[in-house]
Amino acid sequence: MRVLFLCYRGNPYCGGQGIYLYHLTRELARLGVEIDVLVGPPYPFPMEEWADVHRLENLNLWFIRTRHIPPEKLKRVWSPWNFVDYFLTRFHVFSEMETFSFRAFSALRRLLKERHYDLIHDVQCLGWGLLPMKGFGIPIVTTVHHPLTKDREADLGVDKTFWEYVTTVLFYPMNMQRIVINHLDRVITSSQEGVIELNRAFGLPARNISVVYNGMDVELFRNTGERREENALLFVGNTEDHKKGLRYLLEAMTMLPGEINLTIVDEGPPARLTAWELVQRYGMEKRVVFTGKVSSERLVHLYSTKTVLVMSSLYEGFGLPAAEAMACGTPVVVTTAGALPEVVGDEGAGILVPPMDPRGLAEGIMKIIRDKRGRKKMGVLGRRRTEANFAWPVAAANTLAVYEDVIRSRGRSV
Amino acid sequence: MPRAKFFGWIALLVSLVLGGLFFYYAFYLTGFRDLNLTALSDYSYYALILPIALVALVILGTGFWIGWTILTIKVAPPMPEIVEKKDFAKVKAFLLCLVTLSLSALFIYGIYLRSYWALAVPAAAVTLVVLGMIFWVGVAIITTRATLPEDKKS
Repeated sequence: MRVLFLCYRGNPYCGGQGIYLYHLTRELARLGVEIDVLVGPPYPFPMEEWADVHRLENLNLWFIRTRHIPPEKLKRVWSPWNFVDYFLTRFHVFSEMETFSFRAFSALRRLLKERHYDLIHDVQCLGWGLLPMKGFGIPIVTTVHHPLTKDREADLGVDKTFWEYVTTVLFYPMNMQRIVINHLDRVITSSQEGVIELNRAFGLPARNISVVYNGMDVELFRNTGERREENALLFVGNTEDHKKGLRYLLEAMTMLPGEINLTIVDEGPPARLTAWELVQRYGMEKRVVFTGKVSSERLVHLYSTKTVLVMSSLYEGFGLPAAEAMACGTPVVVTTAGALPEVVGDEGAGILVPPMDPRGLAEGIMKIIRDKRGRKKMGVLGRRRTEANFAWPVAAANTLAVYEDVIRSRGRSV
Repeated sequence: MPRAKFFGWIALLVSLVLGGLFFYYAFYLTGFRDLNLTALSDYSYYALILPIALVALVILGTGFWIGWTILTIKVAPPMPEIVEKKDFAKVKAFLLCLVTLSLSALFIYGIYLRSYWALAVPAAAVTLVVLGMIFWVGVAIITTRATLPEDKKS
């Protein structure tokens, strides 16, 4: 089987899709799938060992004012798709997905002259260009971890002025995604909650959606064997993202004994002030530490040495930090928001509390902190659950099963 | 002159000349009068007005959609204090809906009357925005330093 992946941003440090592309293609290749990739910048780490990578251009202009566009990019603005990108981004439209999909369409036309594809796998681009691609008769599958409606709602929730509202509405290509997603052969999402959200956001029928749990590197995320600290809470996530519900965790902190401290894995002041303002408001300056951005190795160290990971989220498309902590044998206290109950499971790897409930969070945290033996058991169960459900080879095998199902449903042989 | 700057000047001049020509022929030469286009045959008139109407209504529709989205979105902000800081966004969104609806109605009425303005105003708006974009890239290319100044080279 030969599969063509489309990914508008391929770098692992540039969002989840880069990580997804890198690991999933590697594991699929190990299962015998031939992989080609059309990818936009920032480009992925070298994948040539297992995939044929074709890099497509994009100037990434959306956050740059015209006067500040670097000369080397300005020189390239005149090509048709670059000019479309330039034009639309001046109106605060995030056009990268649209233009990437059209560039991919042109590239695919060239590629099809010399090779055949059994399936196209789009990684949450959903650009207009996918519609003409259907004309080639190749089944198209897309992966959407959570619909952009969730991000838009979160942004609208914190917008203060009319202009901020306008730019938020313009930024998210909701109409394009709504139309395109309903024309694809199958949508892969990472949780049952995702099925509900995709139906709510895009009116997508459940029969067109397959659930494949996200993969993670269970070999990297493994307990280091270091001594675990007592009374040490860990929060991993973007503190500017109001969906993370950090406010409720800090409110819960006020109900916990003073010796309990919190480490936040994200930038603190002066780079990011939202969380710091909250910390000050709750008088937690001496009990909260920001680590800034950390390497994977340091993150594994933090997971392995802190007492408990807390996720106070109001919504999670998947909840990777919970899975990573569980892989490191760390108990978790998470809300029942989004896909978190599916990630933590009901085997006893963690405690689930309702979202927006600081008292519930505080009680869950205290329960784990007081029960040292229970913590160990939770850690073992968490590790077992992640190995069985969230390892990349498992994700790849399940994705391949979806491919085969889609191809068969088109009346073709696999 | 570096090649990039040359193209910058070209972009600037072309957009200015084309913009000037458009203004001269579309408005100045007509004496800013509302010409009646009834002399045109139905087919000629609709061949001109349909693409312009499509673009104009898409733009006005987008404006209405933005206003409507802001008006109707139901968000439970995780931080209630943010609500207090918001300006009159809903009022402005309502005004945006009202303005775009009114302009759309006016535009359709203008088409019905075969008014010259119904043709010229949207054409001018689109042309000047596109030329403005080209002009602005030209300015950016000309005013951006492409290489490090001599004293910064080491």
